[in-house]
Amino acid sequence: MRPPSSLKQEFLKKWIMGLQRCSTVKKNMSILERKKAIKLSADVAMASARNGKTCWSRAIIANASKHGSDKHLVEKILGPESERLIAKKVSTGALCNNRIRSKKILKRSWGIRRTRKCAPQVALASFIAKWLVRKRTKVLKSLIPGGEFMNEVCLIEETLDYIISLRAQVDVMRTLASTSEIVNHN
Amino acid sequence: MNNAFPEILQCSDMTVLERQKAPLQRQQEQLQQQEKQQQSYFSELRGVFSNQTSHVQGLQGGLLSGDSLLCDMVMTPQAKPDPGLETARSELGNIDIAGMGFGQCGYVNGPSFDMNYAIYRTSSCPPAVVAAAVATEGVEAKGKESVESEKLGSAIGRESFKKRKADKLHCSKVVAEDDSKRIKACAEERESKITGPNTNKSSSSNNNNKKQTSTETSKENSKFSKVQKPDYIHVRARRGQATDRHSLAERVRREKISERMKYLQDLVPGCNKITGKAGMLDEITSYVQSLQQQVELLSMKLAAVNPKLDFNIDNLFAKQLFASCTTTFPTVGMLSEMANPPYLQFNPVQQVVSCREVEMGMGMGMEINSPDMALQRTINAPLSIPDASFLDSSCLAQFQSSAAWDVELQNLYNVGFDQEGSTTPFPSQPFTGTKS
Repeated sequence: MRPPSSLKQEFLKKWIMGLQRCSTVKKNMSILERKKAIKLSADVAMASARNGKTCWSRAIIANASKHGSDKHLVEKILGPESERLIAKKVSTGALCNNRIRSKKILKRSWGIRRTRKCAPQVALASFIAKWLVRKRTKVLKSLIPGGEFMNEVCLIEETLDYIISLRAQVDVMRTLASTSEIVNHN
Repeated sequence: MNNAFPEILQCSDMTVLERQKAPLQRQQEQLQQQEKQQQSYFSELRGVFSNQTSHVQGLQGGLLSGDSLLCDMVMTPQAKPDPGLETARSELGNIDIAGMGFGQCGYVNGPSFDMNYAIYRTSSCPPAVVAAAVATEGVEAKGKESVESEKLGSAIGRESFKKRKADKLHCSKVVAEDDSKRIKACAEERESKITGPNTNKSSSSNNNNKKQTSTETSKENSKFSKVQKPDYIHVRARRGQATDRHSLAERVRREKISERMKYLQDLVPGCNKITGKAGMLDEITSYVQSLQQQVELLSMKLAAVNPKLDFNIDNLFAKQLFASCTTTFPTVGMLSEMANPPYLQFNPVQQVVSCREVEMGMGMGMEINSPDMALQRTINAPLSIPDASFLDSSCLAQFQSSAAWDVELQNLYNVGFDQEGSTTPFPSQPFTGTKS
């Protein structure tokens, strides 16, 4: 198991690398551009820290590498593995889609066969509960990058990892921001 | 057909119970007149239950009309599938006492309603027997003949059949409970019986224990507790092989999901009190949204702070230190970071313990004067010193480093330590060493 701070260190390293590249490429960026660049490099760095093991990281990398300008950033941060990771995501995405669609069809057929004979109130309550859960998983899927292609089990795993990474990212960024402020003040 | 019953009874000595019923024949004759009125109902009922076993039908032929019909209705519900047959046979053995009970009913001269009430009072009867009898009596008392009887018959049949499908069906258990309750209370209206299953379904809980307690109590009520088997509380095997696999797979999947939700509960603050998927998912989505918003805000802040995206090296060094400092602070984040992939190797205790130790050591303010000590500490709470050196060399090539390193670094250390509140005495030697 990786020690916790190594995640942050790795993230920071890669982030700085990405930022360097951004600054060298374009001078005199507007604040929004800078913000975008910062966020993008942070996300990609975070994703690369996972080495392609998680779905969300691959999704981020794939999304980033769609645009030409960002692709170089991705490549810079990822290094030699970038091609492999990008290719991996493309292949798994389509497969996941088909798998999940077929699973949904199967599940629907099971449900029709096994209709529970409950009282109407109980049936209604369970229906409402299921509807709520379904609705909220949809929302969660929209939040997690690459979440649309996951089934429930994978989604929860990815959420776990994503939350951890986000936390580390927030910590590092916060400290960097505070130190930058202090340095600027001095 | 019913007129032939007493003759058959007199001439035949089919079973012991008939001999015992001999003294009751007088009362039976009195009842016959009443029962003639009920013949139409009973015949229909018998028609409903006529597809039962030969035993029951033999009984029908052999017993007196009133008793026979009651026993008829009594036997048939249990005589559905095979285990019911055995219970029916066991009931036969107990019919003598039942007959006594019914014989008491015979003393009551009056309309069939009185007989029904008498049946109510005979709490000694086996519960299902009485329940079925009462139910069927209730049917005919209402005057809704074939439809209701068939309904009830099917309902009773359904309930006995349903009860064999253990966990899935609520209503069967409800009806079982209702039956036993009716026997205990002996005070419910007949009309409520048919509507009873419908109204009580909502109040019942899907609990196997309740079923068993109902059987136990019904056993206590009945005198034949030894002989009577819990006939309507069968827990049969589940459905066929194919669905078993599916249900098993689903169960495994559900357990997986619940296990992961537990991890998430530890991770997301404020989720301890929430149970259930929907609430948990709500909390998780809101937490993820808040984290993402924080990232946005911080990136905006960083963009605002730096007119150009240059993060000086001295800044970076300080940043490295702070990064390592923050990791040593045991927060919830620690536990979360323990749950790195693979998550299932969830071993937070060791890491937390080690980090706490390091924190303690640091808190004591031990002076580290040699790089070796610092490196040793990196084992427990990984500090960024090796990485800092790496970064240093790589960044030096690209960034302009400030002239007076030591001074700035010292300033940063002081500032940083004041801010973070830690007394981490990082030696300046390694940094000077890599300054090259």
